[in-house]
Amino acid sequence: MLHNRIIQFFILYISGLSALFIIKISLGLSDYVIPSISDIVYTANRILPVYTRSVIESMCIAIMGHILSIILACAIGILGRMHSFSGLLIKAGAYQIQAYPVVAIAPIIFILLGDGLLPRLIITSMICYFPLLLTFVGVFTEPVADIEHYYKVTNTLSWILEIKIRAYEHQQKILTVIEGSATLAMVGTIVAEFLSAESGIGHQISIALSQSDMSKVLIALFLIGLSISIYLTFLAWGLWENINNKA
Amino acid sequence: MYIQCKNITCSYNKQHQIFKNISFEFTRPGFHALFGDSGVGKSTLAKIMSGLMMPDHGTIINESGSQQIIYTTNQERLPGWQTIQMHYNSVLPKNSRENWQHMMHLFGIEHCLQSKYNQLSLGQKNRVNLIRYLFQDHSALIMDESLANVDESMREKIILYIKKKFPEKFFVYISHHVREICKFCDQIVVLRSVSHSTQTIQLNGQNLYNNTIDSEKLKKTMLEIVHAT
Repeated sequence: MLHNRIIQFFILYISGLSALFIIKISLGLSDYVIPSISDIVYTANRILPVYTRSVIESMCIAIMGHILSIILACAIGILGRMHSFSGLLIKAGAYQIQAYPVVAIAPIIFILLGDGLLPRLIITSMICYFPLLLTFVGVFTEPVADIEHYYKVTNTLSWILEIKIRAYEHQQKILTVIEGSATLAMVGTIVAEFLSAESGIGHQISIALSQSDMSKVLIALFLIGLSISIYLTFLAWGLWENINNKA
Repeated sequence: MYIQCKNITCSYNKQHQIFKNISFEFTRPGFHALFGDSGVGKSTLAKIMSGLMMPDHGTIINESGSQQIIYTTNQERLPGWQTIQMHYNSVLPKNSRENWQHMMHLFGIEHCLQSKYNQLSLGQKNRVNLIRYLFQDHSALIMDESLANVDESMREKIILYIKKKFPEKFFVYISHHVREICKFCDQIVVLRSVSHSTQTIQLNGQNLYNNTIDSEKLKKTMLEIVHAT
């Protein structure tokens, strides 16, 4: 599985790189705009240890943000499943917040909380929690009538049991969205770092951009892609292995 | 003790009428039946009787005891993470363990104890589902095709067991097996489509407590039912 994802990533990365070189050759662009392969290799030798550390740091924040957003989406999903006024209000509020672009809200978060770990975590969570929220709200509001019936007629259906039944019955849906939102978590972290943090791979990309150094950007992209592939592989393995064991 | 349905009128989406002023009653505890062609509204009527659906008009008078009328169907499932044993332990009274184990043995599913619900055959699922309802505090249990996938001899065995074990309770059995209904049920309500002027006809079954059959009587009841539908 790891093998497959890494191969897929390499194919994608090499295709992207090839497209860049085709553009460079066909438009006659200089090495300053799109660097040569030797430039990229030279830069890689120079900055790889620093960028690797930055990617690992970003990855850790992405994972923490991902976990936080799962917890958040799950909690809002549980509250939002209620047909009461408060349930509807929570659901509407959660959707409304998501309607604002995160980059527009991010400055407020940075102004209030500075540029440490917390704002990066919050922005990461905000970016990847919406698909999770939609799925959790959907799953928790959809009754599994053929199982719940017994508990309802015998007056033994607690809200915890209701959640457990619905989550179990829709576990494939939940695991798919958790897996899918992992990529968004990394995107969120990089966006947060790009906007205002003072470390992480997003911050390194921001510096590379200010230097107009595409070699650094390409190396950062390589490391980001590689780390996401590895994370997704382990996530998928952990989640689906868990299901298979239960089955 | 009785269960009475009085002037029930019901329609889907306020347009498609399924019941028009129907009334009937089960006048004593026992094993009764609700019979009718597919699509006439047996399940809907059962849901109305158990309070899961509200009719447009009419009332259900439940004088069968202090407990409610419970509805069960063969479409139900158990939570997927539990084995049958885990499920029974979690939903049935703690002191009933010996009883439900005995019942499983009688119903021929004692070997399913460590299985999960999705690993069982349809007939086994029917029996596993029914057992957990038999241990509930209900005064009346509506069994909507609850034994539909169980073989005939086992069905008869189960029905006779229920009749003997719970004589003080009401059972309303919904099934398409005319012979079985005529043999074992006490009061039979035949439900007909709304186009008939009289939508329900009430008949008496043989209400047998063993497999001794009076063929002539049985034939007569079966003919009455077939004629009524």
